[in-house]
Amino acid sequence: MEGLSTDKAPSLSVVLPHFVFAGIAFMVLSVMVVLSSGLFSNHFYQPKLLAITHVFVLGWASMIIIGSLYQLIPVVFETALFSERLAKFNFWFFAFGVIYFTYSFWMGNLVNGVPWASIFTFTSFILFGINVIMSTKKAEKKTFSSKFVIASIWWLMATAIQGIVLAFNYKYQYLNDSDFKFLRIHAHFGFVGWFLLLIMGVASVLVPMFLVSHQLDENKLKRAYYSVNMGLLLLSLNWYFFSNAFATLAAWVIIMLGIVFYLSFIYDSYKKKLRKLDVGMKHSLTAFAIIVLPVVLALLASLQHDFSIIIIKNVALLYGFSIFFGFMTTLILGQTYKTLPFIIWLDRYTQYIGKRKVPMPREIYNETIADTQLYVYLIFVILFFIGIILSNTLVLKVGSLFLLLTAILYNINVFKIVFHKVKPEKSE
Amino acid sequence: MSDYKKIAEKRKEIAATLRTIIDPEVEVNIVDLGLIYNIDYDGDKRVNIDMTLSTPACPIGDTIIMNVMETVMGAFPGFEVDVNLTFEPRWKPEMVSEEGKKLLA
Repeated sequence: MEGLSTDKAPSLSVVLPHFVFAGIAFMVLSVMVVLSSGLFSNHFYQPKLLAITHVFVLGWASMIIIGSLYQLIPVVFETALFSERLAKFNFWFFAFGVIYFTYSFWMGNLVNGVPWASIFTFTSFILFGINVIMSTKKAEKKTFSSKFVIASIWWLMATAIQGIVLAFNYKYQYLNDSDFKFLRIHAHFGFVGWFLLLIMGVASVLVPMFLVSHQLDENKLKRAYYSVNMGLLLLSLNWYFFSNAFATLAAWVIIMLGIVFYLSFIYDSYKKKLRKLDVGMKHSLTAFAIIVLPVVLALLASLQHDFSIIIIKNVALLYGFSIFFGFMTTLILGQTYKTLPFIIWLDRYTQYIGKRKVPMPREIYNETIADTQLYVYLIFVILFFIGIILSNTLVLKVGSLFLLLTAILYNINVFKIVFHKVKPEKSE
Repeated sequence: MSDYKKIAEKRKEIAATLRTIIDPEVEVNIVDLGLIYNIDYDGDKRVNIDMTLSTPACPIGDTIIMNVMETVMGAFPGFEVDVNLTFEPRWKPEMVSEEGKKLLA
């Protein structure tokens, strides 16, 4: 069987700890939201909200995305992961950094905790970056999907460097940052550069694969890639050096165009699909529909901030919420059901295939729980959205309980999958 | 029955056996998915199967190929089975059979 290139999937011990850590982080995150839901009716710049933000972006989103990327490198780049040992070492390093970071913010230890935690996290991102970039060097085929992933790694480095500059500012106070411009740049390197580009790259392979739809227009991906990168570059350079209101608006329009090209690619994939939607893809396509929301809010925020046209209160918080929870979490919740059961199934059942009856990957979790989780989660998103607009603490409190319920349902399924045991074969 | 007919009959039986192998992601058998390009039977005990995967980096490629060999050898004891994995042409959704499309939808 010469030419067989299918032994490239990484070991279970590389990928699985990321999913388990992320599941627990999601639980911790939802408890933190319940405890501090009242804060969502105020300004976003408070240590407890920064703690929630960092447990979200690092412990939940980045952790699960990094773990999934290790699994998906063979699919996206058609090559094996460069070093499993480096990936395992990096997991512990990153996990420590995340806990240190979150604890420091939550306890308000901004001067002596946050700066050192940022160094830890940055180092772990460098190790992760080396592992991915070295993997891509071995890849024979360079597609637009892989370009998205490589660009996202560079933006991740930019996010972390800007983060270190901000973290050490707590200690040495060298920035004159009255309008939070460095914080905005840090956040957007992270949102648009790291998360959005990475998700776009990986999903451009996975969505057509899961929906069984091909012959899509790659030019749309190409346009999306250049628009989002150029828009973000313009946005950050403008914020660093000029703070020109029209340039900010122009940058958002360019980013928005990129997202429109991308959504059009996803829509084509949906239209040409041969396969019906399962619970994982229902979550994922909902997430792509929701992404329109933060883009519109970003335009509104730039009008409010730069042109003083106030349309809604708390637009910055609403914008952050719609990215974190509206788009990213919906997508992650869904993609967990597309990747984790498959990874465990592969580990537990490969040896039995062809020799005895084996269950399908979707049979190793509870589909009713997964379906319920989607609806409970959407109730949380809607309630929180209304709560932030109205600055209503009661609506936010009730909404946060739906997030907690989502986290419980999600973790029941995650742990059911992780601890799945092969049942002995029934004798005929 | 002529040799030609016997060979054709056996190839049909082999294809029917391969229909029991299900792709765990899309939950459709590999024949209707269009992954089997050719089944060659020499009229005696030798079977050559040309097949593909939906992507060269398919994480369960090895598993599917082993499954093809084990399943055919299990159904036809004493047969020698060779699987030739090819990506020429690359698999496309257009290769899914009408039956496969119904199973997917």
